[in-house]
Amino acid sequence: MIAAPTIADKISEQITGRLGSAVVPQATVDRIPTFWVSKDRAPALLRFLKEGIDQPYKMLYDLSAIDERMRVHRDGQPSIDFTVVYHLLSFDRNEYVRIKVALAEGRLSLPSITSIWPAADWYEREVFDMFGIVFDGHPHLERLLMPKTWVGHPLRKEHPSRATEMGPYRLPPDKEVAEQEALRFHPEEWGMSRERDGSDFIFLNVGPQHPGTHGVLRIALQLDGEEVVDAIPQIGFHHRGAEKMGERQSWHSYIPYTDRIDYLGGVMNNLAYLTAVETLAGIRVPPRAQVIRVMLAELFRIISHLVWYGTFAQDLGQMSPVFFTFNDRERAFGIVEAITGARMHPAWFRIGGVAADLPRGWENLFRDFIEYLPPRLKEYDLTVMRNRIFQARTKGIGGLTVNEAIEWGMTGPNLRACGFDWDFRKRQPYSGYDQFQFDIPTAQSGDCYDRAVVRVEEMRQSLRIIEQCMDNMPEGPYKSDHPLATPPVKDRTMHDIETLITHFVNVSWGPVMPVGEALGAIEGTKGNNGYYLISDGSTVSYRTRIRTPSFAHIQTLRWLSRGLMIPDVVVNLGSLDFVLADIDR
Amino acid sequence: MKWSLTRPEVTGLVATPDAEAFEQTVRRSVVLSRLEDLVYVEMATSITSKFDLSRFGSEVIRGTPREADLMVVAGTVFTKMAPIVQRLYEQMMEPRWVISMGSCANSGGMYDIYSVVQGVDKFLPVDVYVPGCPPRPEAFLEGLLLLRNVVGTEQRPLSWVVGSQETVRAPMPSLRDLMRPSRQKATVLREPDEV
Repeated sequence: MIAAPTIADKISEQITGRLGSAVVPQATVDRIPTFWVSKDRAPALLRFLKEGIDQPYKMLYDLSAIDERMRVHRDGQPSIDFTVVYHLLSFDRNEYVRIKVALAEGRLSLPSITSIWPAADWYEREVFDMFGIVFDGHPHLERLLMPKTWVGHPLRKEHPSRATEMGPYRLPPDKEVAEQEALRFHPEEWGMSRERDGSDFIFLNVGPQHPGTHGVLRIALQLDGEEVVDAIPQIGFHHRGAEKMGERQSWHSYIPYTDRIDYLGGVMNNLAYLTAVETLAGIRVPPRAQVIRVMLAELFRIISHLVWYGTFAQDLGQMSPVFFTFNDRERAFGIVEAITGARMHPAWFRIGGVAADLPRGWENLFRDFIEYLPPRLKEYDLTVMRNRIFQARTKGIGGLTVNEAIEWGMTGPNLRACGFDWDFRKRQPYSGYDQFQFDIPTAQSGDCYDRAVVRVEEMRQSLRIIEQCMDNMPEGPYKSDHPLATPPVKDRTMHDIETLITHFVNVSWGPVMPVGEALGAIEGTKGNNGYYLISDGSTVSYRTRIRTPSFAHIQTLRWLSRGLMIPDVVVNLGSLDFVLADIDR
Repeated sequence: MKWSLTRPEVTGLVATPDAEAFEQTVRRSVVLSRLEDLVYVEMATSITSKFDLSRFGSEVIRGTPREADLMVVAGTVFTKMAPIVQRLYEQMMEPRWVISMGSCANSGGMYDIYSVVQGVDKFLPVDVYVPGCPPRPEAFLEGLLLLRNVVGTEQRPLSWVVGSQETVRAPMPSLRDLMRPSRQKATVLREPDEV
């Protein structure tokens, strides 16, 4: 992730060579080249970065906004009210670029970039929903996460954060009717016709409460007989305001909230968040803590993939695998529980390390698991992957090419299934992943079967990594002695007053992160999970932006489902491996 | 299904033969409807091998509330979702029960945030609250068993013209108070430093 200064200079030269003084660079802690540009020139610059430049930035990694009105430390940035932030990713350069557009409060509009990246669709709708910023030329700009009846834009600073500030919740019958009416799907709004060649389309509402959608996801299907003409996923039924929560929880006490983003990924989420926090703070995590983190993160990758394995087979009508894989998951949870004391959401990583050292006898737990799982995986190969019905239902369904996947912002196993061996653990190593030997499984066609192939192999690779962690666990501290490590190492607090004061303040108020902004991104269980944090020099984050893989993946559903049958939509959903909290946050 | 006119305070939680038969009937027919999802993962775990919900006769999960006796609100209730939860509840046939599973459904939990309803009991009657974030599968099983006991001793009106039209429910004392003596007996706690 850390771009060498020379590369940053190179892109800087290329951009200023193209647009002259119209772009203003900004220095950031994470050393991602950052440029300010006026809103009129932004689309041209973005198109240039995607198509005109050598080694182009092909992926729209993230698009979000910042309410700057309460910000104290501007550090030479323009004094404006709102900022729209684009993050692009270049695979050829292996680096990000950040483009910022300043907006004044009275004129909150800028040109849409949906014509450059179709994936910008949902991102722009989210920014509109959360900030009220209008994107001119967007095909269908309406609220994405909040209900249509909502008043206000939640991520603006003047919007209440707490539900208890907004009065008790009431649901009288007339309100229920009005809310239900607001949820009604109107095909005309989406430019859909109600008939073709004299025969009517059927509009089928799937979800938000449906066994096939793995949670509260709603899909409006336009059907010609049993064929899906169009599918509109609708989200926001699981929006927990995690980004707003970051603006009031201390840097330390936000960790449990990250667990619940990709709720099958457990401590993997902590790692993504802490990567960003530790970049801001400049903390070097000791080797033992790094290896403990990697070991548990990989265990959670296996746990997450096991849930996906069983439920995916169940989506296809196989009843037994889910019982097998959940049983294996229980064994893995046995280890998680012995080490962290919790099952799904341990929140066990800390700023600068982990919460505690490993308990005595931890090796045996892992040793048993590493011996136990491979034969089971072999068995599942026979029962699931080689099952003829399973293959017939998944092969050739929902396939896409590498370029299409990149265009839609796909990462993780779904991208690798297309044949592109891009793994952030290898390409942008964090937490010492460059010290481990493992392969990046890929497949070719990117269809539902190939996505499964990649995930199954990933579990074996994760076992390899865990084994290396066990064999080479370094000695030493499990937490950094950096002053911002939280809670601080306590051994000297009773010896000198300075340490005691630091300890007291860090525990009671929480640490104060240095002013700056940083993106921390990791290879999560489902794809790239990134935290873009802005510190205004206080005990809480000024803006927490969470880039989640499932958001990008589910956006492709509309495009993947066209021309398929209804059961294939369920297969597509299962193979994409998403969780709702990871979409809606 | 047999109905009896004995009052709960007469029978207490000790099942009479009639109540036993009733309980047996209900025990077999508590069909679940599930809602929401985060906590549902742990609820699903309670159905799988290690925990095996079917031991208690409630492994049948219906996608539609019209066929269900019990709705488990397993996860956070959002303002966008609340009208839908309400609609699903209205679709359930009487008699119906609700388990609120997890801190978020109980009270909003750690999410005192604009998009979250601070507890499903703001608009639905809840019979059993299962604490935890997420609750362990065992906790859910215990909640289900508690509800089963209550259902087995509940008195409903004999008909719409005879007697009181109220449903008389056996008292549900706080589990914390009931369990305190046994919990206080634990004086030696295992050290976390050892597996």
